[in-house]
Amino acid sequence: MNLRKLCLLMFVAMLVLLPILSTASGAGKEANTNSTARERNVLYLFNWNNYIAPETVKRFEQSCNCELSQDYYSDNEEMLAKLAAGATGYDLIVPTGNAVDSLIRQGALKPLDKSLLSNLKNINPAYLNTAFDPENKYSIPYAYTLTLLGFNRKKMQDLGLPTNTWAIIFEPRYLEKIKGRITVLDSQRELMAAALKYLGYSVNDTDEEHWNQAKKMIIRAKPYWAAFSNTSYIRELAVGNLWVAHGYSNDMFQAALDAKRTGRNFTIDYSTPKEGGVLALDSMVLHQSGVRTDLAYQFINFMLDGKNSAELTNLIGSGNPNMDAMKAIQPDIARNKAIFPDKKLLTRLEMLQDFDRNQRRLLSRLWTEIKLR
Amino acid sequence: MTKEKTKGERITKWLVSGPPLLFLLVFFVAPSLIMIVTSFRYPGEFGGLAPLVAPAGEVGGEYGLTLEAYQFFLSSSLYAEIFLKSFGVAAATTLICLIMAYPLALLIARSKKRFRNLMVLLVVLPLASNFLIRIYAWMIILGPESGLSHFINTILGVFSIAPITLLFSPFAVLVGMVYVHLPFMVLPLYINLEKHDLALLDAAQDLGASSWQRFWRVTWPLSLPGVFAGSALVFIPVLGMFAVPEILGGTGDILIGNLIKDQFLGTRDWPFGSTLSIMLTLAVLSIAGLATWLARQSGGMKYAE
Amino acid sequence: MQSSNFRLWLVAALVYAFLYIPLVIVVAYSFNDSRLNAEWVGFTLFWYETLFNDKEMLIAARNSLVIAVSASVCATVLGTMAGLAIHRYKLKVLPILVFTPVAMPEILLGVSLLLFFLQVLNLTLGMVSIIIAHTTFCIGFVAIIVLARLQGMDWSVFEAARDLGASPWQSFRHVTLPLIMPAVVAGALMSFTLSIDDFVITFFTKGVGEPILPIQIYTMIKVAVTPEVNAISTLLMLLTLVMIIIATKLDYGVLRGDASQ
Repeated sequence: MNLRKLCLLMFVAMLVLLPILSTASGAGKEANTNSTARERNVLYLFNWNNYIAPETVKRFEQSCNCELSQDYYSDNEEMLAKLAAGATGYDLIVPTGNAVDSLIRQGALKPLDKSLLSNLKNINPAYLNTAFDPENKYSIPYAYTLTLLGFNRKKMQDLGLPTNTWAIIFEPRYLEKIKGRITVLDSQRELMAAALKYLGYSVNDTDEEHWNQAKKMIIRAKPYWAAFSNTSYIRELAVGNLWVAHGYSNDMFQAALDAKRTGRNFTIDYSTPKEGGVLALDSMVLHQSGVRTDLAYQFINFMLDGKNSAELTNLIGSGNPNMDAMKAIQPDIARNKAIFPDKKLLTRLEMLQDFDRNQRRLLSRLWTEIKLR
Repeated sequence: MTKEKTKGERITKWLVSGPPLLFLLVFFVAPSLIMIVTSFRYPGEFGGLAPLVAPAGEVGGEYGLTLEAYQFFLSSSLYAEIFLKSFGVAAATTLICLIMAYPLALLIARSKKRFRNLMVLLVVLPLASNFLIRIYAWMIILGPESGLSHFINTILGVFSIAPITLLFSPFAVLVGMVYVHLPFMVLPLYINLEKHDLALLDAAQDLGASSWQRFWRVTWPLSLPGVFAGSALVFIPVLGMFAVPEILGGTGDILIGNLIKDQFLGTRDWPFGSTLSIMLTLAVLSIAGLATWLARQSGGMKYAE
Repeated sequence: MQSSNFRLWLVAALVYAFLYIPLVIVVAYSFNDSRLNAEWVGFTLFWYETLFNDKEMLIAARNSLVIAVSASVCATVLGTMAGLAIHRYKLKVLPILVFTPVAMPEILLGVSLLLFFLQVLNLTLGMVSIIIAHTTFCIGFVAIIVLARLQGMDWSVFEAARDLGASPWQSFRHVTLPLIMPAVVAGALMSFTLSIDDFVITFFTKGVGEPILPIQIYTMIKVAVTPEVNAISTLLMLLTLVMIIIATKLDYGVLRGDASQ
């Protein structure tokens, strides 16, 4: 084939392809840059995986006549690391308390003008004025989740195993029966928190002796675990490959729903072990590098509206700090203690606090050892 | 015919070699130097790096350069172990690739000329698929619900052996590594084998050598430069790979690449991440140096021996 | 047929099978009417529909194409210059600089560029950072291909042109360039393919809010695998397949680094 013709053909093909793709993805957009974001009405949201339903996104986009662009993370550490690595341009982020703390102290957040947030009164005061952001200068509660155990009820009954204790993922006498059918969270803080809680310590304990104890216990249990997983456990539980998973309450909600929808002969249940666990309050914050502050406030107000907040809970099973939302939440979800912990359970839950850089380095070495041995 | 270095020639020389030289100096050499410097700095309080100089008015504190990251590297045998493990995986992958690739390369080299290009193309085509897809394919094949898993576990069940999981294991990592890198072993081997003069083999046969002897005494030694080139092309990328262990591997299957990635996108410990990267670079350079030296040693063998 | 040849054929066939069966499975399951890649249920184009309705995936595809075209243009120009320079002039430094990025593990390139962009250039990570990163490692590939072609060429034509009084530029433009053009185009296509498929380097140098195709696939694999991944994989395979076939038709030697045209 004539070379010149070929090159021309390729060039033409490229010229044809690009506009087609552009029109397919929306009317004549140019390459994304922060400056055109202003004209294009895009809100950049950095959020957890599976932490907002597509329906909610659509309704917000209609209400603000704008576009919501999302990036995801599955661990606070991952989000903080990306921000430290120079990720800029996010208008809104939804970090957990300890990460909010870190971001505030770095000066990475814009203070909030609460006069613009008409729906702020909807939030349950119990979730305001937290240790990491007294007076809520920078953050507004979005949702909360518990880190707990999800399990295949039928299998656990058949095997006669307890489901209300962390022992099920740490003690070999139980692990033997479910070898290869368990996953734990791939998160330094979360797994250590579970281990520390089981041993009777605080999740924010920094005593190296206690850490070594926890490390030994984890290494002893590791051979029985299938994998460290932050998100794939949802599917594996729902399909029946996994029988126990250490994970987040809203993910377990999803797994339970999936299992029901696909007509499995087992149910997925989830609850906080008796030794206690981690409560993660995720808040909306404005990052300094964000451009569309106006859209960000619209989003916050939108999520503060009882109806939208309730939709979030109903669709993804997240805990809800919004009093106005309670009436619109499905009763079986509202009753679920694993999503809405009662006062008694709350006393056994703790929120994670950030470590300093030396503690982080030590923990990182510990974690490497855990992974390797 | 000697070429006179006229002024015009010198200008042309710089015009032609200048731009790529400049580009690579800025975007390859400079970043490497930055990485070296970073490995000697303190980590920042919230991640990233601490400033090089103390802010005005502050006394003491941790600024400037330090060997802290390297000391941390040596503080536990852990990190050396991971390096050794990565070397082990790379060596195993290289060996398996060699065993699988050699017959294929030999076959292509000995085939009729008009088929050769097609056969080589068929080897290269899998590289056309996205690297992640090639890994993902093995997630499907080795998954516990797959036909293969059922088949193997049924057989094991006959012998009353407990079912095994194929996925999320060192085995899966090895399979993934081999699968991704196999074409890179085939190509250099083929390039070398194709150049072999078959008359040598005929001569050997006439002298009474068996087919095995012909291979071992004639073909193999001549192919050694190709073997070393292919081995280097497999060994070095495997050393730095993190996607395969992350997607196909189990809890303990972390290699150096995973560790480096974690430092930058997890622990936010840039100095330590840079230290690990420097160590990896040194490892790669030694391997490359070794391969070159070995290739030169073996390539020095003359055709007529 | 000697028995050794038969054994050779057998092993070769097994290796080919090993190479292709996984890909066939991926393609096959892209038409599978089931959310899980477990068993075959029925034929459907649903996943391709989902793909074309997935706005983010389409934006990612467009971004990847833009990056690939830009990076391959830059890499081809610089790589061809490098190939010519290395061939013509006995340079010591340039070959090392050009070929090392090709040989090094990608993670080292990704990490060092990340540090460089942030600390020295204070560059906001985005399309530009990715294009620069991709160009850096593609230059080597283009240079190798062009160099191989140059080494196999008959230089007497070039010398004849010079003897007849042509300036260096004229002899380049009218003699050298047409002769190496197949290699240049093949190099461009190779760069394009490498750029579209690159994962590791993109992973470290990408910015915010701009989806890139391999990263999207990675996220899908790690988070919520649906056969939509299979569908996009199949399409990508098709695209790069066409590229490679064209590249080899232009210059068979591109696969082996020699000039057999």
